[in-house]
Amino acid sequence: MLRRTEGIVLKTALFGEADLIVTHLTSDFGLIKTFAKSPRKIKSRFGSSLEPLTYSKISFWGKEDANLPRLTQSDIILSFQLIRDRLECFLKVSEILELTASFLPEHEANRKVFMLLLDVLKETEKDCTLPLHIILYKIRFLNLIGYAPRLDGCANCGKTGFSFYISHGSVICERCITGMDSPIKLSPASIKLYESLSRWDLSLIERIKPSRNLLAELSDMLNDHIRYRLTRPLKSGAFHKVF
Amino acid sequence: MAQGIIENLITELTKLPGIGRKTAQRLAFFMLTMSEDSAKAIAKAITDVKEKARFCSRCFNITDSELCEICRDESRDKANICVVEEPSNILVVERAKAFNGLYHVLLGSISLIDGITPDKLRISELVERVRGDSVSEVILATNPNTKGEMTAQYIKDALKSLNVRVTRIAYGLPIGSDIEFADEVTLSKALEGRREI
Ligand SMILES: [Zn+2]
Ligand SMILES: [Zn+2]
Repeated sequence: MLRRTEGIVLKTALFGEADLIVTHLTSDFGLIKTFAKSPRKIKSRFGSSLEPLTYSKISFWGKEDANLPRLTQSDIILSFQLIRDRLECFLKVSEILELTASFLPEHEANRKVFMLLLDVLKETEKDCTLPLHIILYKIRFLNLIGYAPRLDGCANCGKTGFSFYISHGSVICERCITGMDSPIKLSPASIKLYESLSRWDLSLIERIKPSRNLLAELSDMLNDHIRYRLTRPLKSGAFHKVF
Repeated sequence: MAQGIIENLITELTKLPGIGRKTAQRLAFFMLTMSEDSAKAIAKAITDVKEKARFCSRCFNITDSELCEICRDESRDKANICVVEEPSNILVVERAKAFNGLYHVLLGSISLIDGITPDKLRISELVERVRGDSVSEVILATNPNTKGEMTAQYIKDALKSLNVRVTRIAYGLPIGSDIEFADEVTLSKALEGRREI
């Protein structure tokens, strides 16, 4: 059966000499892996359309339950080449590609995640030096798949709290905290920043200008939370801090 | 018994890239008909490669001695280094007969999502080479894809403080192709890299 959809390339893996296994996030089928014949050959008809980030119209062929259908066509809608043109931009984005590929199950459509990734890539391409889009993506992505940390109230009683417990994925208030071991302390400002990044319209995000420290506080908490949920750190995370 | 050993050979051969069950069968039965000497020569060539092949201590090309053939060749221009991802890339550049300098093999390309960070490649060794030897130009011939491009940019930054010219091989349309069929990224890169004629 031939299926058509739109997809964004999250990653590719070499397969044999000139073939690739391509992981797309698609609008209709969620995360899918397909086999692409010879894209690495210079005269391949796939051209540059299988480079990471490329948003294209794709067709693939295979039985409904085939675990590796064959990619037959890929026509670029948006290349996001401007992000790939700059090392520091691509490194930042690598983290959200890995996050997406690591958490999502295959063959489960999630149109909201697809639109979120597309929107964030569009914003990032306009100006990748803005630090907020990556954190914003992490927060909203986790929210859409039901893994978001809860910062708006204590996991026990709902009251305001500033002690975040990774094992609970939530803040816990002063009263319920007794007898528990060391939490991540959050400032009221970082909880507010978290709320804004969860809800504000994407086009307004650049009006938020948090301090470096505040950003680091929220970012570290999110990364710890992700590491706990994933039972390993993101490979792309450690390195891009250097930049 | 005979069935077992021939089956074993077929299974081993199918581990090679591009060799399916059918080809493996054909090769296995051909080997049966070969003279013992020629068959042993193949086996020896394979074990030799595994036992003696190692990386050149200067450029990380494959060699059987301390320095590879290219690094030992006095007629090569030591002021130019061509940086490639894999040892097999050297053969391809050599075949083009357009370069007479030395090489540096990175043994991979940067891909954070796969956990391949710059420290896993032979980049610091390259920087040391450029710092130590009198190198005037480093040509980055990593693959024209995202991983290769990221690697090239990273190396450019790593060499910034050293007094060396760093160039990147041109992006262009494949010779013999038709402009009709080029995708937008390839074409825009080819336009960017245009030159006066
Ligand atoms: Zn409570
Ligand atoms: Zn050498």
